Amino acid sequence: MADALAKPESPVGEAHAAPKALVLWRPEAKTGLISWLTTVDHKRIGFMYGVAALFFFLVGGVEALLIRLQLAVPNNNFLTAQQYNEMFTMHATTMIFLAVMPLSAAFFNFIMPLQIGARDVAFPRLNAFSFWVFLAGAVILNIGWFIHDGAPNGGWFGYTPLTTRGFSPSHSIDMWVMGLQLLGVASIAASLNFIVTILNMRAPGMTMMRLPVFTWMTLVTAFLVVLAFPAITIALIELMMDRLFGTNFFEVSNGGMPVLWTHLFWVFGHPEVYILILPAMGIISEILPTFARKPLFGYPIVVFSGACIGFLGFGVWSHHMFTTGMGTVATAAFSMTTMAIAVPTGVKIFNWIGTLWNGHLTMRTPMRFALGFIWLFMIGGFSGVMHAAAPADAQQHNSYFVVAHFHYVLIGGSLFALLAGIHYWFPLMFGRRVSEGWGKLSFWIIFVGFNVTFFPMHFLGLNGMPRRTFTYDPNMGWNTGNLIATVGAFILGVGVAVYFTVMIYTFFKGERTGSDPWDARTLEWSLPVPVPEYNYRVIPTVHARDAWWYEKRNKDEVARARAAHAPGEASHGIHMPFQSIYPLVSAVGILIGSIGVSVIDADPGPGLIGPKLAVTLAGLAVFLVGVYLWALEGNEGYHVHPEEDHP
Amino acid sequence: MALFPLTSTFARRALAGFAALAVPLLSGCSWQSWLGLDGKQSTFQVEGPVARDQLQLFYITCYVTFAIFIIVGAILAYATLKFWAHSDADEHAEPPPQGHGNPLVEVGLIGAAVLALVVIAIPTLKGIWYTYDVPAESKADAYEVVATGYQWWFKFEYPKEQIAGAGPLTCANELVIPAGRPVRIALRSMDVMHSFWVPKLAGKVDMIPNRANFIWLKAEHPGYFWGQCAEFCGESHAVMRFRVVALGPQEFRDWVEHQAQPARSVAAAQGALSFAHVAAAPIRAYAPNEAGVSAAYETAPLDSWRARQLPNESEDPALIARGRALFSEKTCISCHTVRGVPGAMGITGPDLTHVGARSSIAGGLLENNSEQLRRWIHNPGAVKPGNKMWVTGYLVNNIHLASDEELALVAFLQSLK
Repeated sequence: MADALAKPESPVGEAHAAPKALVLWRPEAKTGLISWLTTVDHKRIGFMYGVAALFFFLVGGVEALLIRLQLAVPNNNFLTAQQYNEMFTMHATTMIFLAVMPLSAAFFNFIMPLQIGARDVAFPRLNAFSFWVFLAGAVILNIGWFIHDGAPNGGWFGYTPLTTRGFSPSHSIDMWVMGLQLLGVASIAASLNFIVTILNMRAPGMTMMRLPVFTWMTLVTAFLVVLAFPAITIALIELMMDRLFGTNFFEVSNGGMPVLWTHLFWVFGHPEVYILILPAMGIISEILPTFARKPLFGYPIVVFSGACIGFLGFGVWSHHMFTTGMGTVATAAFSMTTMAIAVPTGVKIFNWIGTLWNGHLTMRTPMRFALGFIWLFMIGGFSGVMHAAAPADAQQHNSYFVVAHFHYVLIGGSLFALLAGIHYWFPLMFGRRVSEGWGKLSFWIIFVGFNVTFFPMHFLGLNGMPRRTFTYDPNMGWNTGNLIATVGAFILGVGVAVYFTVMIYTFFKGERTGSDPWDARTLEWSLPVPVPEYNYRVIPTVHARDAWWYEKRNKDEVARARAAHAPGEASHGIHMPFQSIYPLVSAVGILIGSIGVSVIDADPGPGLIGPKLAVTLAGLAVFLVGVYLWALEGNEGYHVHPEEDHP
Repeated sequence: MALFPLTSTFARRALAGFAALAVPLLSGCSWQSWLGLDGKQSTFQVEGPVARDQLQLFYITCYVTFAIFIIVGAILAYATLKFWAHSDADEHAEPPPQGHGNPLVEVGLIGAAVLALVVIAIPTLKGIWYTYDVPAESKADAYEVVATGYQWWFKFEYPKEQIAGAGPLTCANELVIPAGRPVRIALRSMDVMHSFWVPKLAGKVDMIPNRANFIWLKAEHPGYFWGQCAEFCGESHAVMRFRVVALGPQEFRDWVEHQAQPARSVAAAQGALSFAHVAAAPIRAYAPNEAGVSAAYETAPLDSWRARQLPNESEDPALIARGRALFSEKTCISCHTVRGVPGAMGITGPDLTHVGARSSIAGGLLENNSEQLRRWIHNPGAVKPGNKMWVTGYLVNNIHLASDEELALVAFLQSLK
């Protein structure tokens, strides 16, 4: 293995540069475990993001069902208070950071480079690093379930001073802090990668205003991540300093300011909401035109409103804090900006309906989920406007009304779009598609179950039921609503189970499709299935917004343009990056160091290297070695010369 | 093509559905109760101007969004059904015209959306200023209270009712206010963030450490209201509850006067003060989270509360005296104040000077009766997981109560009217 460089005529092609003096391992396996651990292929990384996200989606779903079981009847003792608090903390943290975000990342990785006619992302090894660090963060967040300290239980918002050491002495909060910190590193690294990719690696003719909307939303989301995560990074570092080193950022007795945490958290937390929903809007903006068989209505305004939502998203964070006593002017300002954000959101819905208008709607499963998305997202948007009216929100805040609202936008919105996206791109990823009957069935069970679960929560909230409560008394008038919600949750659970069972079945045995089974519009559908490692044998030239739709109808023109630059490419072959183990090594170092910081008890005294410091330093050492070798091996690659007539 | 001719199955079913919805509405139940919105913490059955203003604004947001929903939803439904390619032939037909949009339509829709929001924005702004603080014209009349959140109970202080040698009048978990007068409540927290919420009187405002928040509210009539902490504050957040009792002017003055008195003392004959253990029935087993409230008590809660102000009819002075002694012996006094009991000046826990006159105990969780009080002091950790009385009291100081000691303490506490 280590002698890979000594064999320039190895099967993957000729090496790009002379071997380094130092012996570095160049993994070449194209199949098997090693190939996955060392891959830098955006499609494989996207696939791994998807698998991890779906796994954690099921974990978060089980947590949700346990929550609903506890609340099914009043005064239930199925879970203890502490277990319940762990459940809702981890349900939210898992669904946001370990399910929806990585599932979006899976699509960013797999689809976005294909949509812009690129052969990979700009920094393939950084991409792998992002995934492995994400996985490390997920591990740190969930270690608590298996050890004495328990899982994090301070809420996904981690309000201080409840999460300071005085009130939460166990390591569970340390793990939450460290886990989120790692997820931030992963998300920022990935987002920088996507930004550079989209700005620099578009195929000839793929101008910004020809980008598919999904790619546009990837770009906006990536900017949101890069700008929003530093706020929570700072907050988490301050909290970590308070907890580990006795600083006083949030320590009330020493003048710390808990309200500072709420601001820092929501400066991140609100853009985070758009980080979850904008990719979904992008997916919907791909699916509707494909199945309506006409272009997106008002493309420029859809793109602009997406950017506008992203921009305004930074000016509304305090609407999560209307009850913190900000005073009249601040409350009024954030109330107005929050209402303003309804305009670009409404614009998107208008344009989606405009897309349907005069179309030929082929009602396939992705289209059903997409239409379900519009309905449910609309309801979630309306309850959002209700929150924006700050005095009304004083009643709704932290009640089940809010729980209903954000599940309508995050399940009815984000998740429906992601489920639609899985159906939509499944043929491109795996060359198979789900049978319509089963797709339709899972859609309807999920749709009904979702509404039965969450619609009654509007009423529960308006009837005064607060969130995050492990029990309630039978005399409060909340029994019926809670029981219905629990029944609905299990219907939803059955729907999700059907969905995934069908997906797994389809993965192995589903109906085979050729390329472009939906008669789609964007460039990724021009590729053969399975997509070759290098994606495009010849980098495409783009002549119109819906590039593939145009190409299908103007074959001659496109072929002429392609022929003009194909020989040049053929002469030097396709440049591919080497696989690398060092992103994984660096991430493992980070994982070890984080375990040292967050899981192990503090060392007894200064001056001694106890287990905590030892593990932390060991992790740091592994990380530094990984980064050093990563830098040393360089960004070299090899060339492949695919057959001229690829199937 | 008429989309829904009245003879169609869909239209007939829809009409039948509306009829089914209308029957209970017409048959006399209020729509709130039909939708299950008439609970003790309902934001619809408001009893004060702040909550009413918030409710009116909520209705406005509902009207506007329902109207938009019906219009947009109808267009979406129409477009979906009308342009649905039902047959194979439809699907394989030539693609429709590849239109890219219509700037006029789009700008028009943006304008309409902005207009709809203005309809909401104006009352929102008015409401923000109105609900923020007591209106200037009634500021002089406002009654001031200080509410402090603790894990997991509320302390209420009356700065205007100073008691010689003891500071302001202090109560816990039941806030008694004058009805018909604005009340301005300063909100404090001594540990983590909490939130003060009495839905029928006003939306919530948070209690944040190191931050001087306040809320104002007014109960229009005497009444008994349920409230609850609305900011996650740790293990027992769900059972951090309280009550607000609004009384008429005279009744309120009487209440204040009575509260200002030191704890009631029940005279016992000297001979009865031999503290030998007497066999007493052990406490019955309670399931975790078992409800501690009774329906009978809540049918007329304000009357029940008034009845609690009077001394119990049958009291055992000897048992009470023993309980009084145990209150010191078991170190209860280090955390609880009972004005009139020597040494009972602790401030970690609620002031218990008149605890017997409260309608609820354990932070508004349990009805205040002998049975539930015994359940509470028997094992506070089982009633309210993680609470200080259990974690830093019973466990640290190794406090154990025999059955007869429990009964004595209960009798003593119940006598504190």
